Amino acid sequence: MQSLREATAQALTLLLHGDAELWEIIGISFRVSGGAIAIATPPALLAAFLLAHLEFAGRRLLLSLCNTLLSLPAVVVGLTVYLLLSRHGPLGDWRLLFSQPAMMLAQIILALPILVCMGHAAFQAGDRRAWETARMLGISPLRAFVMVLGEVRFGLLAAMLAGFGRIIAEVGASMMVGGNILHATRNIPTAIALETSKGNFPQGIALGIVLLGLALLLNLALQYFQGRGRSAP
Amino acid sequence: MSRRMQPEIEIRFSRLHKFFQRRHLLNDLSLSLKSGAVTLLCGENGSGKTTLLRILCGMEKPAQCWVAFNAKNSAGAANNGKANAPRPWRQCRPQLQRQVMYLHQQPYLFDGSVVRNLALALPRNLPAAQRAEQIQRALAWAQLDDLAHARAKTLSSGQMQRVSLARARLRQARIWLLDEPTANMDRAAQTRTVALLKQLKQARTALLIASHHHEIFAELADTCLTLKQGRLIRTP
Repeated sequence: MQSLREATAQALTLLLHGDAELWEIIGISFRVSGGAIAIATPPALLAAFLLAHLEFAGRRLLLSLCNTLLSLPAVVVGLTVYLLLSRHGPLGDWRLLFSQPAMMLAQIILALPILVCMGHAAFQAGDRRAWETARMLGISPLRAFVMVLGEVRFGLLAAMLAGFGRIIAEVGASMMVGGNILHATRNIPTAIALETSKGNFPQGIALGIVLLGLALLLNLALQYFQGRGRSAP
Repeated sequence: MSRRMQPEIEIRFSRLHKFFQRRHLLNDLSLSLKSGAVTLLCGENGSGKTTLLRILCGMEKPAQCWVAFNAKNSAGAANNGKANAPRPWRQCRPQLQRQVMYLHQQPYLFDGSVVRNLALALPRNLPAAQRAEQIQRALAWAQLDDLAHARAKTLSSGQMQRVSLARARLRQARIWLLDEPTANMDRAAQTRTVALLKQLKQARTALLIASHHHEIFAELADTCLTLKQGRLIRTP
């Protein structure tokens, strides 16, 4: 077995020399998770806004449900999506199982509670007068909504970054509904799991470095935007 | 702006009730708001002044309220010679939202410049030249020319209030409800705000001012009402 130092050195070589297979896996990860966040964000922010601004029966229950879903295990989501998309499942005719759209669907389900809960917190922390003033000025509800989004943009960006961080690193759902197929559905976490089980540590470590680097970048971005949000008068 | 061409307006609210946490906050109130009339609303903290204002502008639902609109043309003749019959508040809400403008105690200004905030009150399809001209006039009216491109969120309370008044004026609301318009202001800023409100009164805008500083508005107000234990009492 290689020493950790040797494996890390080989991992860095793979990364820096642009190993095609490695970078393809990284590309798939970003494509799937980026797509999932892009699809999940608009409805999640609308739901967060409605939960923050409307009083209706069952609102508290919905919020509790969203908070509960924050701790939803990825494998449970994977299992549910697998059963939905499997040949005899209700969505079996779509023939999506073991494809990138299937992975995206699972990641959307994982990202939604984070986006709704953090988005709701951002809208709550924002000023309700923004919405009221916009409507008082005769601005249409849709445009007023967009204006309020702009006013709480730093909090919403933090929600998106947190959601993206969660789904790009999850392994359970991607493995179950993607199948970890090379050149098709193999992403960073599933590749790490596979390479480690094969004893191919350099590639596992290289992908781990990418994930760690990404986590660091997301956290730095999060702190930067949250800081800007606080300093904005 | 075609402010002088607009007909006179009167809105009568009656049988207004509002409950808050099982408390009868507003109890069978009747109130009339008329072009050119200034009403001063006094009352202790928590007496329901802000809630009343928010109901009158269509922002907050009352338990019950009836509303009658009465518009007069420039010759002074009322619609069909008589006032419209009172209708439930719910039916009148869109009309209230169009014609009544509520100004928060602490005005909310959007991120961006003063000009951007003023532009929000104008129709989007307004030609650029007219838009610029109207904004320029509003800036001059509120003595904000030198702050046109300042970041709105960095202004003082008095300056923010003036931006808010200029913005409401651009919106051409017929009836203004002002919630503590001189709160957190020094004497100079208060005097400037009152001067702007005087101009609005002269331009036949109806004003309802909720304030603890009744001495500031004594000269301006035609009627003084006090909200006490859910009831409106006319005070001299």
